[in-house]
Amino acid sequence: MHLAGFASLLALASIGAAGDLAPDVTADPAKHEYRRIHVDVRHAPGPETTAYQVWFSEQPFSSVADAELHSTVLVVDSVAGLARGTPVFDIQDCWLDGLPAYRDADDFPVVLRGTASWSCSLSGMAPGVDQWIAVLPVDRDGRSTSLLSPIQARTDVPDQRTPEPDTLHITLTLVSIVLAVIVLLSYLRRRDIRGGRVQSSRAYAYVVPALIGLATLTFYPITYGVWLAFTDASQSHLGQESWNGLANFATVGASPGVVRVFLFTMVWTFSNVAAHVALGLLLAHVLTRPGVRGRTAYRTILLLPWAIPGYISVLAWNGILQPDGLLNAILGTAADFTATPNAARLSVILVNVWLGIPFMMMVLSGALQGIGTDMFEAAELEGVSRWDQFVHLTLPNLKGILVPISLLGFIFTFNNFNTIYLMTRGNPYVGFGEPGATDTLVTYVFSVAFDYGQYGVAAAWSVAIFLLLVAFSYVYVKRSGVMEVAR
Amino acid sequence: MTPAGGIMAWVVPAEVEALKRWLPVAAAVLLVILGLELLRGDETRQFGILAAIGLFVACRACLSGDRRAAWKRYLGAVLAAAGFVVAVQLLLVGGRSIYDVWSVAWIAVPASAAAYWLLSPRVAAWASGRDDPAFVDACLGGNRRLEPRLRQVGRQTLLVHACLPVVVPLVWIADVAVSPGNILGGAIGDAFTVDHFANVLGSATFGTWVRNSFIVSVGTTVAGLLLAIPAGYAFSRYRFSGRRAAMFLFVLVQMFPGIIILLPYFMIMKSLGLLNTSIGLIIAYSVTALPLCVWMLKGFFDSIPMEIEEAAAIEGCTQFQIFRHIILPLSLPAVAVTALFSFLTAWNEFLLALVFNTSNDQYTLPVGLASMIPATGQQWGDFAAASILVSIPVVILFIAFQKALVQGLSVGAVKG
Repeated sequence: MHLAGFASLLALASIGAAGDLAPDVTADPAKHEYRRIHVDVRHAPGPETTAYQVWFSEQPFSSVADAELHSTVLVVDSVAGLARGTPVFDIQDCWLDGLPAYRDADDFPVVLRGTASWSCSLSGMAPGVDQWIAVLPVDRDGRSTSLLSPIQARTDVPDQRTPEPDTLHITLTLVSIVLAVIVLLSYLRRRDIRGGRVQSSRAYAYVVPALIGLATLTFYPITYGVWLAFTDASQSHLGQESWNGLANFATVGASPGVVRVFLFTMVWTFSNVAAHVALGLLLAHVLTRPGVRGRTAYRTILLLPWAIPGYISVLAWNGILQPDGLLNAILGTAADFTATPNAARLSVILVNVWLGIPFMMMVLSGALQGIGTDMFEAAELEGVSRWDQFVHLTLPNLKGILVPISLLGFIFTFNNFNTIYLMTRGNPYVGFGEPGATDTLVTYVFSVAFDYGQYGVAAAWSVAIFLLLVAFSYVYVKRSGVMEVAR
Repeated sequence: MTPAGGIMAWVVPAEVEALKRWLPVAAAVLLVILGLELLRGDETRQFGILAAIGLFVACRACLSGDRRAAWKRYLGAVLAAAGFVVAVQLLLVGGRSIYDVWSVAWIAVPASAAAYWLLSPRVAAWASGRDDPAFVDACLGGNRRLEPRLRQVGRQTLLVHACLPVVVPLVWIADVAVSPGNILGGAIGDAFTVDHFANVLGSATFGTWVRNSFIVSVGTTVAGLLLAIPAGYAFSRYRFSGRRAAMFLFVLVQMFPGIIILLPYFMIMKSLGLLNTSIGLIIAYSVTALPLCVWMLKGFFDSIPMEIEEAAAIEGCTQFQIFRHIILPLSLPAVAVTALFSFLTAWNEFLLALVFNTSNDQYTLPVGLASMIPATGQQWGDFAAASILVSIPVVILFIAFQKALVQGLSVGAVKG
């Protein structure tokens, strides 16, 4: 109160010729709500007064220059033709005599001249923070007709959240999946015991936690995702989706830019994998030759793009390619490498090539070291050229690892999200709802889901991508012989 | 034109062989440089580099065919010398930034090497068509001495150039971190301040991100290992019905694109009220990392001989005692690597963290650091300082365990 008094003294000094008494404003903590402060105003507006302005700030203020205008309450001579009501834009609720205030055509609350008191509930007040609020009568020209005397108030009312959506069905599904896994494993266990494999019956207890985790948190979400693809799920009615047939797939097929985003995904994936394998093999080959000076140092440096967290590298490359970034500084130019579609595409591909080489290099160095040196020595004596040695001896010996590793690289690159999201977010912009110039399928699905909120359509995209990858995974499993370990 | 007969036909001085290989490489590099020059729009340099490419191609053409045409050798030397003149000219009229000098070096060094070698007595003797045993002896002896050196030069050039795109950005990021102002520009080493490091270390938000990342990563590691160790052990040691099917499932899951699971995950976590919690991320990460962990551990358990366990079983150890006192200590290094792998995966994961935890006080480091680089108002200095602080421990761990990590990954990714 002391501060407020001081403030009004200052206001007296600065305004001087104000006619009316300051309105008597009191905060009523009993009527505060979450992020809302309730104030009662008692004031007899003078003839000059045409409106009240409500000012607020988180600091004490003596001049409206230090405060923000919260809302305006008009003072009129007649309320004929006006209705009482709550505002469309819920900035403030005002009441006269305990009833909602009249509103004018522009939705401003209206007070009849001669009214002695009115109340307002002011929204947007940070909870648990002291606020200073002042009601200032103003005349037709916006000049104040009284002194400014802010009062202190705060609302500590906690948020009343809307009840969470019903989670019972998800909980029930999860529980039944757990039970199903246990039942299945017990059945297999009994069968094993009957079949005489008593020793291994213990194994089921060991694998059950991992399998339950896998079933509940991988296979169930995938099934759920497939189901979502056939529903109208969206951000606006979460948890109330209903069957939608193949409509989402029609949307996917008809969406503008579907061919473009597919083609860019293919270009992105194949150019990356080709560059990763070719450059990784080149570096691995050079590094594993006998007598390379500084081998350990080179290997460590070349490993760094893999060792540094990927998101940090991508963000750093984002900076390098900015108009005031490193590349422009080196070249003495000021180009924006992510502004035009093709330059942006080339940029994201090159950055991802940079990121992926070390993994291939390390895996292939391991494989190269595993190839014996005898046949190379023999070839050397026979006068076989280095290139022929590489093509006819090294490559065939590497085939066993090159096939699976490049298919694995294909899947990794296809699913890569971070590089494009952190470099360009799919930009340059092409059109509303369309994939951007650098969007791949994966980043586009992300924006369909989380920028546009179309969960059903995004799920349909995911299913399409999944089918595409199942084809590749099938080839991968078939050709890599990955199941041979299982014997 | 009579081809040189017999053994002498393939006695070629190492210099000539090297030139045959390097001139096309230099021309290819110059093509890339030409592309960059087109971006800069400097016509003098474009013309100079284009001329150099032409000279190198022509010079390379002079080296093939019949070696006995003396004019070819002289023409090659003249072309190379012309290339050198072009380089000197470019250096005299153009800029002299590090990049300028480097690109001109790609003209000057091959050109001078070619000119020098083509005029050297060894090559002159070879080109004159000498094939008497004395010459062959001398030439082979010289090659034995020169070849390893030339090869070393070629490899070192390649490796240095491969390292440049790694080292230069790192130096630059370090410079951004110690330059005043939250901006990118400025020459390297022009000013020094530790303000950004002080800002980052002093800010409560960065502390929160580190704490969140730490909780999530440790939680993931512990939960992941508790699930993966028994499963990996069972897959390695027991033959039971459904084993192959289960193992196939573990491989299959690795191939699912994250984006398929992302949306259902998000909705499940939302329904269970696990958005904006560490628990939600821990659950998601430990299950997504599970397949690879199980495969890695299975590979390691496989390498422990069965006989040790059998002996212990005969001695009367229970199954748990065998696991606790024999298997676990023997596979401790492997478990450590798997733990490190889970930890790093969780520590670096971006997508799930971005979608699940949208409130600033639940950000993990990846989302937090990315939030420092929004579309406008990017805080590059603070970001660079934070990146360095976050990367150094991760990089040290990674380099220290690189062999084991690569091995483990190949076990999981490719057949062991």
